[in-house]
Amino acid sequence: MERVQLFATCLGDLALPDAVADAEALLDAGGFSVDFPRAQVCCGQPAFNSGHRAAARRVASTFTRAFSHDAPVICPSGSCATMVARYLPELVGCEPFDVWELSAFLDARGVPVPRHNEGRRIAYHDSCHMLRELRISDPPRRLLERSGAELVPLPRPDLCCGFGGTFSVRQPEISLAMADDKLAGAGDVDALVTADPGCLMHLRGRSEHTDVGVPLVHLATALARGVGG
Amino acid sequence: MSALARPPGGFREIARVKLANARVSGALDSSTARLLDGRLGAWDSLGDVEELRERAHVARMRVVDDLDGHVDRFRKAVEARGGVTFAAATAEDASAYIVDVCRRTGAKLAAKSKSMATEEIGLNEALEAAGVRAVETDLGEYILQLAGEHPVHIIAPAIEKTKEDVAELLSEVDGHAVPAELEALTRAARRQLRETFLAADVGITGANFGVSETGSIVLVTNEGNGRLVSSLPRVHIVLMGMERLVASLPDLSVMLRLLARSATGQRLTTYTTVITGPRRAGETDGPDELHVVILDNGRSKLAGGRYREMLACIRCGACLNVCPVYRRTGGAAYGPVYSGPMGAVLVPLLVGLDAAPDLPHASSLCGACTDACPVKIPLHELLLELRRDLVEGRVAPRRERLAFWLWSQAWSSAAFYRVSTRLARIGAPFAALVGPGRIWRSGRTLPKLGRRYRDRR
Repeated sequence: MERVQLFATCLGDLALPDAVADAEALLDAGGFSVDFPRAQVCCGQPAFNSGHRAAARRVASTFTRAFSHDAPVICPSGSCATMVARYLPELVGCEPFDVWELSAFLDARGVPVPRHNEGRRIAYHDSCHMLRELRISDPPRRLLERSGAELVPLPRPDLCCGFGGTFSVRQPEISLAMADDKLAGAGDVDALVTADPGCLMHLRGRSEHTDVGVPLVHLATALARGVGG
Repeated sequence: MSALARPPGGFREIARVKLANARVSGALDSSTARLLDGRLGAWDSLGDVEELRERAHVARMRVVDDLDGHVDRFRKAVEARGGVTFAAATAEDASAYIVDVCRRTGAKLAAKSKSMATEEIGLNEALEAAGVRAVETDLGEYILQLAGEHPVHIIAPAIEKTKEDVAELLSEVDGHAVPAELEALTRAARRQLRETFLAADVGITGANFGVSETGSIVLVTNEGNGRLVSSLPRVHIVLMGMERLVASLPDLSVMLRLLARSATGQRLTTYTTVITGPRRAGETDGPDELHVVILDNGRSKLAGGRYREMLACIRCGACLNVCPVYRRTGGAAYGPVYSGPMGAVLVPLLVGLDAAPDLPHASSLCGACTDACPVKIPLHELLLELRRDLVEGRVAPRRERLAFWLWSQAWSSAAFYRVSTRLARIGAPFAALVGPGRIWRSGRTLPKLGRRYRDRR
């Protein structure tokens, strides 16, 4: 059985443990032996994106201690996967890791997806780093379609949802306006699905706060259990 | 430098006012979307746009990486064709030289075509102080001049104005009501501006490009005003940022294929004017004198450094049109001259991070700007570098630096992380009352922190 290493990410570990469990279940079902390195913490992205390189390096070095270069690292977050793939090696001075965003990995390995979303209308929100830095846009959509969902296109799928890490609290008015635009575009879908815990928390938080009532579901959950569950 | 100074209040406060104005939001949203669609369509028509963007990047960096050499060649070529050049180290130097030319030639009226560089040096104010009336002849700039406002978009300066706004301003000049219809508005503006074209003593333009090899000045416009301003008055003064050079005419053709397509979605602008020297003996058109003012104002110090790629910018505005933040805030929040992602990078580089500490954070780092840039400037990565300089130059607030330091200590090992996140769970109700937690909660529900994933395994 091929071994993979699961990187929960800090947001996943703390705020979205169910989504991480769903990611693990998908990898299990795909026939992988899932290892969860206990020493993992965070990729350092919050500090890195705010310009605090020394702080980012200190936290990111936990990643290099926790994970090995011998097996793929799978991460249910496009932006953390971006951090590890694009910036972390230079930041801490290590060899690149074989890091994958979850859906890209499942798609590349042809992992079968249960048909939990038969008849469901789902909109998929591209997170910016996943779309523009990793260029992953088809795999999550393909997997959702294989799960039986009817994909409803969002207007202006290129527009950021307004999370942007600390941007969400540095520029709260603009951040919320961007979230409102994104949620309004989702209209009457059964769920708005995204592969990034940051976007998810922001959009879900806004959706609940304003009673627009669009359910936000992490991609791992949508695939493992369906958006209705 | 004063013209680049940012208004008091900062990005967030100005943006907040704009966000509340639904009429401006509507105009901005539909106009940026139209320009964006135009660009995407025009890029599609190019076939291999990636290859062309790469060539454009190389062509621009060829100049940026030998800036002094190109400026030197360009000046010699301009002078060999009878033009006069002046290297202005600062905004004040540039304004003083231009005012001086106006004085010497007894000019009372200057007709201007659109130029962000003249906005950057505050030229209109300097001319006015010297008793020279400067009239903007680009329609958008003319509208803003009538309104007493600054451009909010580098290509479409009056992008936030509706046709009703424009009708009101033009009616005031005419002394009777001009209907808010495009044809009537255009006719009124044309009539009003024609007087300026014919009466102006001096024409002042920017330069979209200068060609080092030939000493040519290249102007692209859609209204033809650039051509009138540069050929009717007896003196033509060009203000050009020192980095706006291309090495040769073949390099110029690469840039021209991308500029209009990226700016407005056109294959070419209606008028592309290449000016090489003043009127020569036997020619019927053109000015007696041609002055080219080459503006540094903080540019040369960027060459050779981490931000050198910003000097490749061709001011097409594609990054503004694609930016989700600009789309919602408009241009004013960035300051009176440059806006959007290019402004968020360039303004702090020109005025210093101390004077614009909020601009590097006026972005969600979504990267749409980088993808839209025809000359492949990694705009969002430059913003990231600026944020780093904010911290390492200790411009970032002390409490922010302290917070990230504490956080990084608390998360420097899994053992510390387990303890600190357990404490954070206990402290969460309090954390939601102060600082970032309170701001988050003011418009969003907070995520519930349950059992950590690692504790379930």
